Parts: sequence; C-alpha cells; structure tokens
Amino acid sequence: MNVMGIIFANDATLGALTANRTMASLPFGGRYRQVDFALSNLAGAGVRHVGIVTRHHYQSLIRHVGSGEEWGLELEEGGLEYLTPYASSSTDTYRGKLESIYSAMEFLKTGPEDELVVMIDSAILSNVDLQSVLASHVESGRDITIVTKAGIADGVKQLDLAVKLDDKGEIQDIAVDYQAPSDYLASMDIFVLSKKWLIRQVNEHIAHNLYHMDRDLVLGLWQKKAITINVYTFGGVAMFNESVGEYFHNSLSLADSYIRRDLFGSNHPVYTKVRDRVPSYYGANCSIDGCTVADGCMLEGQAYNSVLFRQVTIRPGAKVENCVIMNDTVVGEGAMLKNVILDKDVVVSPGTQLIGTVTNPIIIKRGERV
Amino acid sequence: MYFQKKRVIAMLLAGGQGSRLKVLTEKTAKPAVPFGGKYRIIDFPLSNCVNSGIDTVGILTQYQPLELNEYIGNGQPWGLNKTHSCAQVLPPYERHDKKSGWYKGTANAIYQNIDFIDRFQPDYVVVLSGDHIYKMDYAAMVNYHEQHCAACTIAVRDVPLKEASRFGILNTNPDNSIYEFEEKPKKPKSTNASMGIYVFNWDILRQFLIADEEDPNSANDFGKNIIPNLLGAGHKLMAYNFSGYWKDVGTIDSLWEANMELLGENPEFNIRGDERSKICARNNAHPSSYIDPASSISGSFVAEGCEIYGTVRHSIISLGCTVGEGAVVEDSVVMPGVTIEPGAIVRHAILGEDSRICRNAVVGGAFGPEDKKQISVTAKGAVLAENTVLLPGEML
Repeated sequence: MNVMGIIFANDATLGALTANRTMASLPFGGRYRQVDFALSNLAGAGVRHVGIVTRHHYQSLIRHVGSGEEWGLELEEGGLEYLTPYASSSTDTYRGKLESIYSAMEFLKTGPEDELVVMIDSAILSNVDLQSVLASHVESGRDITIVTKAGIADGVKQLDLAVKLDDKGEIQDIAVDYQAPSDYLASMDIFVLSKKWLIRQVNEHIAHNLYHMDRDLVLGLWQKKAITINVYTFGGVAMFNESVGEYFHNSLSLADSYIRRDLFGSNHPVYTKVRDRVPSYYGANCSIDGCTVADGCMLEGQAYNSVLFRQVTIRPGAKVENCVIMNDTVVGEGAMLKNVILDKDVVVSPGTQLIGTVTNPIIIKRGERV
Repeated sequence: MYFQKKRVIAMLLAGGQGSRLKVLTEKTAKPAVPFGGKYRIIDFPLSNCVNSGIDTVGILTQYQPLELNEYIGNGQPWGLNKTHSCAQVLPPYERHDKKSGWYKGTANAIYQNIDFIDRFQPDYVVVLSGDHIYKMDYAAMVNYHEQHCAACTIAVRDVPLKEASRFGILNTNPDNSIYEFEEKPKKPKSTNASMGIYVFNWDILRQFLIADEEDPNSANDFGKNIIPNLLGAGHKLMAYNFSGYWKDVGTIDSLWEANMELLGENPEFNIRGDERSKICARNNAHPSSYIDPASSISGSFVAEGCEIYGTVRHSIISLGCTVGEGAVVEDSVVMPGVTIEPGAIVRHAILGEDSRICRNAVVGGAFGPEDKKQISVTAKGAVLAENTVLLPGEML
C-alpha cells in the first residue's frame, strides 16, 4: 500500500498562546509540540511522504520539525515538504483545506498514482494506529474514511464535523460547526481517501468556488448522495485542544496514568525534536506531587498537579499549583501561582502571586517578566 | 572517493572488556554502560570531540560490540553524520598479510586502522579511551601541542601521591616536557598521572606504529611501548595539565561514586554546564516523567519516561524507570528501564538496565564501618524475587 500524509498546521484558536505560532507548534505535555502526534502517527504507520500545510506564523513550526529526521522523513525522495501559501501559486492565504490542497497540487501529484492519502490535523492529539485505519478504508471500498471519537459531543462543544450513526452503523446525519448532542461522533479530523479521488474532488470544488472540506466535500456530497463514507471509531484517548480551556484541562489530565499510557505508548512512541537536556534535578527540599516533568528542570520549590516543560526552574519557596509551565521559564523564590499557563522563557519575579481559575487560567506570554 | 583533509581526527579506544565492572559488562562493552540517568560512558568523549570541533571520529570496538554499535549508529545524535563528518565504527578485520585479527593492544588497534586515518591526511590524531567521565576541550590541547612543536602531548592530572602507583606516571622537566614514563611505578617520582588522552603528529605516530608492529616482543600498547619508544628516539613529548573533573569509571565503586558526584546543589561534576560543553546522547522517545503525589524525591536526578510513586533520596533514576508506591531508593544508581516494585528497598546499589526488584525485596544496606564500600549490583535484566534480600556488596 502506497500512502502519503498531509498534515494541517491549523488556524490558531488559543489566543495569546497561538499569537505567534500555529496550533501545530504549540508545546504540549512537557516535551512535545502538537504536530509531533500527527507526525508520529504517520511515522508509526510507515508513511514516508508527508506534506505540512501551513499558512502563517510557520517559522516556529519549521524550526521544530526541520527536515523531519526525528520521524524518519529526511529522505532523498518523498520525505517532508512544507506547503506554504507562496510555495507554488499566486493565491492569497488559503480559505479552506480544499483550497490549500489545490495550491499544493504539484506535491499531491508526486509519488505513485495509486497512493492513499491520510489527511490529519494537529490540534487533536491521539496515538492512533493508522495501519488499522488504512486497512479499514481499503476493506470498506468507500470513497472516504473519517476517524471519529465517541464521548466528545456533549451538546455544548462546537464540533467541526459530527456524524450520527443508525443501529446498523450507517450514517444517519452529518453536521458541520454544530453543538452536537452526545449521540454524535466527533470527527478527529483524520481522513483517508485515494489520491485520484481527492484530486478529482478538489478540482471540481475549486472550479465551483467551494473550498471547505467538512461542509462542501463531506456534507455537501453526502447530501447529494455523491459520496460513500466509512466511519472508523477510535477507542483510545483523543485530546481536542481547540480552546484554552480544553488545552489546559487536557494538559493537566496527563496525571492520569490511563491517559498517559494510551497517548504515549498504545501503538507507537511519540517522537519529538531532541534537545539533549540533562535529567531533571530534584533539590533537597523540593516537593513535587502529581506532576508531569520533562528534562533539564531544576526543582527546588513546590509543584502540584502541574506540567513542567524542559529546563523549567522552580526556586526555593516558590509554589505552583495547576500550572502549565513551558520551556526555560523561571519561577522565582516565594512566588505563588495557581491555574496559570506560563509560555516559554517567562521570568516570574520572587514573591509574585498569580491566581487564575480552572476554567479561565491566566496566560503569561512568551518572554514576559512578571 | 573524495575525503576532505582534516587537521585533527580522533580515534576512540572502545574495545576494552571492562571486566572490573563485573556483571554490568557481561553483555555490554564498557563504553556502552549507562551513566548519569540518560547517558552512556562513550557520550562523554564523543561529545567532547564534537564540542572541540573534531568532526571525524574512528571508534575501535572489539568486546561485545552489538549494543555499542547500535548506539553509535551513524553518529547522528552527536551531529557526526554530515557530508564531511563521521563516527566510524572500526571492528577488527582480516587482511591478506595476516597483520590483522583481534586488536592485540591499544597501539595495534590504531595500527590496523592506518588506512582509515590516511584517508583524511590529518596533521594530528587524538587518541582517547572510552571509559572516562569528564568534559575537556581537545582543541585547546591540540593547540598547546602545536605551539610546543611536540611529537606527542599527553594529558595529565595531579593525583594524590599515595594513589600515584595506580596510574601511568609522567616525569617532567620544568618546561613540562616529559623525560620519563613509568607505568604504575612502585615509587612514583611525581604525581602527574596520564589520563589516557594523547595528541600525536600523525606522520610520526604512523612510523612508530609500523615499527612497533615489527617488534615481536612488543605488547603493542601506547603506555608500555609507543610512548617509551618515542622518548627513546629523542622526540619531544609534552605534558598537558588538566585540572577539571575526570574520573575513570572502570570499577563498580568508581562508577557508583562518579554518579553520586553529579548530585547536590554544587556537584563535584556539574553535568548541566553550558551549551558549548553539552553532552549529547541517543534519544529514545520517552515521554515526560510522572511524579505521583505519593512520592517524595530529594537530592536526585530523574530522567524522562519515569513514573515515581515511592521515595527517592540522593540517587540517579535513569530513563524509563518505575519506582512503586512505598518503595525506597537511597544512594543508588538506577539504570534505564528498571522497575522497583511497591515496598522494595534499595540502598547503596547499582541496578543494571531493565532489572526488576520485586515487591518487598531488599537490595543492599548501610556501608560498614570499614572504608571499603559495599555496592550491591544487579545485572542487566536480573530479577530479584519478592521478599528476598541482596546483601551489601552482593551481585545478582
């Protein structure tokens, strides 16, 4: 089976956290960027031909992913390509996935004609076995496979794409941008389809000024009975990091061993860029409880129920609780932080107190001194 | 094929058995023994090379090379996989003229790889051993060697007089030139111990390696043969003083000590250091560690991929280890992939890779009143059964 992957770096929806980065390059889980999960899912399935579609603020993404060697994508043929708006066409930035694929048509056309395409987003994190998704797609003989997750739809969260199945497992309803009730399955924004079919559909849609993957291609064709859909239901952990609240909640939920083991090890390891930091040092009087801790930290104070990224320093007498603290941030002596997301390279002065709420954590921007 | 000419290349002697590390090197070459939570011993000389601007390294392997070869791979973790750089593993091989086979000694190992070195037409060859823990700028040593127009420069460190007879001792003139080399002298005349780090002019070393190979009585060893022969021939040999941290980790005691010396607020060996002297290691894609509310950790290093539910004091917990609830680990080196089950107690121990200490088992204990340390050691993959005891100083 010949397979290529297209990763969408996604629009930023996390306010200050994504002011200068894509959703793909948002740090997660102590040592990762969100795109690592999509890249590792593809690498885990042996996909060696991957394009990353990105439209703005992609500098940090390129710095992180580089040539893709951590994911086995540093190749002469195939390998990794960045599909930026100005790479091949004169179009403005993309309005939708179909338009971005249209402008990356040259990339799509490289490689064997009979390739299957895996389209995957970077804001929904999972450790999914794409081999099994691909096998399900081939077996179904349908035009497209949508990977979905039960238990996400709750009548409140607005889902990009939701499907409802009948008793026989066939699609009863499809909805787009919908606060779907709990009997709907949420799309994980992972699709499998044949390259030939995709190219044909993209050309058709763009010719008619249609560019929205979920609304125009999936829902539109389904309503016209012009598409056959295979729904794959994923049983593992899927983290929908589509708002600050979800990102914060999902980050802290790594303290749950079931979630941790599923996300980091159920099918394959999650690879990321190597940083070669020393192991984290726990000082003589530190107290670290219920925390996810990466490499290179210097921990001399107290941390509870928090995520500590690489090279974080917690000075003596400092106390952090329910915090997400990104790379190289320093929390000074005696500072007290609760429900705070600290971006990279932040310096918290000694004695500072910051208290957010669980639903509305305080965000301190990259490089700030507070 | 085109090979870029190099001013300096390094040859790393990594073939030793390391028999004094006992069960730890039964299946692993000494340079591949884990150290400091996420490193292996060979990471130190390899990273030193890269940090010193040496981008061509020949690695001479012989004993149990599988794991070591796999670890070095194409040299990518150290940035040695580029167009004009390499980390080349050089195992012994067979040659038409029978001047080949197992490496007979350190000098013979280099002799058998003259062709490899000649490709790069180096001015200088740095010869290193793969069993020392230290950070050193070899470029400064090469410059010193060049400035003094020496044929060979040997790095030395000052050791206490009572320990000097354990080392190769270099006796020097006031200008730091060497007039005598004594291997493990009974009555040492100086305290300048050789660190096993040499810089040679390649054209001179090449000549002496060939001559040494012709001598049937030679042990084909740098310390015993090449250095005395160079001195005998009237060549200029210089001593290069190094005062930073350096540790031969050839024994269980010294390996344990070197790990312990990484700990503390002001450690004897500060492994954190700055970017320019960073030690690189092959990465294994472990997730961040999880530190449970039931745990208590103090004065310790914990690497990635660990789950800590128990008590850890003054210890090194390496990549991918689990310390169960109620378990206690003190003054110990826990190598990668070890599981310490709930209720187990580990004191003054080195637990080999992937070993398992089952529930309520006890490893080691307090040191006795005598000076001699009694480190308990488990071999790679060893399992200590539930409720059993591994006494201080015992090996499993």
